[in-house]
Amino acid sequence: MARNEGTPVIRASALTKSYGRDRGIESLDFDVEQGEIFGFLGPNGAGKTTTIRLLLDLIRPTSGIVRLFGVEPRSNPGLRRRIGYLPGDLRLYEHLTGREILQYFAELRGLSSPAAGHALAERFGLELDRPVKSLSRGNRQKIGIVQAFMHDPELIILDEPTSGLDPLVQQTFYALLLEVRSTGRTVFLSSHVLPEVQHVADRVALLREGKVLLIETVEALRSHALTHVEVTLAEVAARDAFAGLEGVQEVERHNSTILFALRGEIDPLVKALAAHHVLGIDSHEADLEDVFLSLYRQGHDAP
Amino acid sequence: MLRSVFAKTLRDSRRALLWWSLGLVGLVAMMVSVYPSVHQNAGLNKLIQDYPKALKAFIAFGGTVDYTSAAGYLGSEVFSLMVPLLLLIAAIGAGARAVAGEEEQGTLDLLLANPISRRRLALEKLAALAAELSVLAFVLWAALAIGTGLAGMHVGLDKLAAATLDATLLALLYGVLALFVGSAFGRHGPAVAVPVAAAVAAYLVNALAAVVSALSPAQKASPFFHYAAGDPLRQGLSPWHTGLLALAVVTLAILTPLTFERRDLS
Repeated sequence: MARNEGTPVIRASALTKSYGRDRGIESLDFDVEQGEIFGFLGPNGAGKTTTIRLLLDLIRPTSGIVRLFGVEPRSNPGLRRRIGYLPGDLRLYEHLTGREILQYFAELRGLSSPAAGHALAERFGLELDRPVKSLSRGNRQKIGIVQAFMHDPELIILDEPTSGLDPLVQQTFYALLLEVRSTGRTVFLSSHVLPEVQHVADRVALLREGKVLLIETVEALRSHALTHVEVTLAEVAARDAFAGLEGVQEVERHNSTILFALRGEIDPLVKALAAHHVLGIDSHEADLEDVFLSLYRQGHDAP
Repeated sequence: MLRSVFAKTLRDSRRALLWWSLGLVGLVAMMVSVYPSVHQNAGLNKLIQDYPKALKAFIAFGGTVDYTSAAGYLGSEVFSLMVPLLLLIAAIGAGARAVAGEEEQGTLDLLLANPISRRRLALEKLAALAAELSVLAFVLWAALAIGTGLAGMHVGLDKLAAATLDATLLALLYGVLALFVGSAFGRHGPAVAVPVAAAVAAYLVNALAAVVSALSPAQKASPFFHYAAGDPLRQGLSPWHTGLLALAVVTLAILTPLTFERRDLS
């Protein structure tokens, strides 16, 4: 995908926010480039929301630098005209209707009309004329999404955006993300579960206990992923029948059924199996969730 | 009505303003309707003149306690306690809701994700508070003007306006204090508790100074002293006392965005 060389849309360098002992974030470094969907992943409490609130100048860094479009958010509140934001803990004015909230934010952002918001609301099947207090969690979340996109922002920051949305609406939402990316918009997408971002994100950062464990493209992560292959043989194979094969690891064995973990090609295993009477082969696609879990564990074991 | 933070804040308080207005009108109507029977009641006046000094200090407003004149009656019955009480409650409530209320309800994050600076937000909230109190001040003044006219009480409209303005500035001072504390700490509880405690203390210091001479230096620091000391119902506006109240309001109002800009939102 084409990326503009130049100022990153988001740059965090040595970004630190301390709150006492355990919480906060420690020396985060990452760039988000124009036109990408950047997944920001980590378990709850890893510091995702803290980072996002630093980006929006709702809180201030203890040390380090954050830049949006090359400038400091603190001294440039006008910058937020170019940003759409969906908070993780979305709270709306209970007594206002969706239409009123969109109208209010359209005025504050200097839009001539909230018409774009109304069109989005229609797309999400959002009832605009009921007060927020009578709306379900999913419908409130739709208002949050619509207001984040309605002013066609260059950068959209979404904190756990699909929580409370039913699967059909989630599909609409992902389609919207891909559309805005195709027009060169940038999306910063936080989540605590990988499946939520793996189909749309270009790159992901993995956060744990306030630190970035890694930043990778989704393809690179996928190539790290192990494929599980379950093979059932007609007879019980010798203990060391599959030892020493390139990229093949025997995980477990129940009588004549063996589970292998593969890294890379399946060919060495297939060649070795040819010497046996094979009753069945069952292969599971690379699961990024497993990669993440193993990375978390490594991060945890590291000193 | 949703064009700005200022306009939305006023819109949100329209119902509260209606109720406070009804309360003020009711208060004035009740007090004014009793006046004809009170001011000719020599026995009652004698009784009040014989009140202990300490008790008189609590019902005094400006000059002496005097139920025979319209200005004296209005001062003691309407302005000494009831008007500041109602206006202060309204002002402190609105001031505490302005920033701390939004912050505790969690709507401030999304509001400040809009292209509006913290300073701008604080100033619009302050302006909305001032506008709300101006509405109540006008209602109070109009109710007094009509009420005194109907009851044949001779207090000039300018004198009523002066007393109303002083009461409004007093209430605005504590309302701005609530807004200041709320935007400095982001919590609704202290934003109510601090100005309430400050107002009760200032009220007691002012009233007790008449009896406890040790308090008289502190009396000059009490906003309640400057509220009544110029005797606005008889003398009209006192540039000195009214000016001091206004200065205190403006000082706190200037500090509000400065502290709000610096801190982390909760």
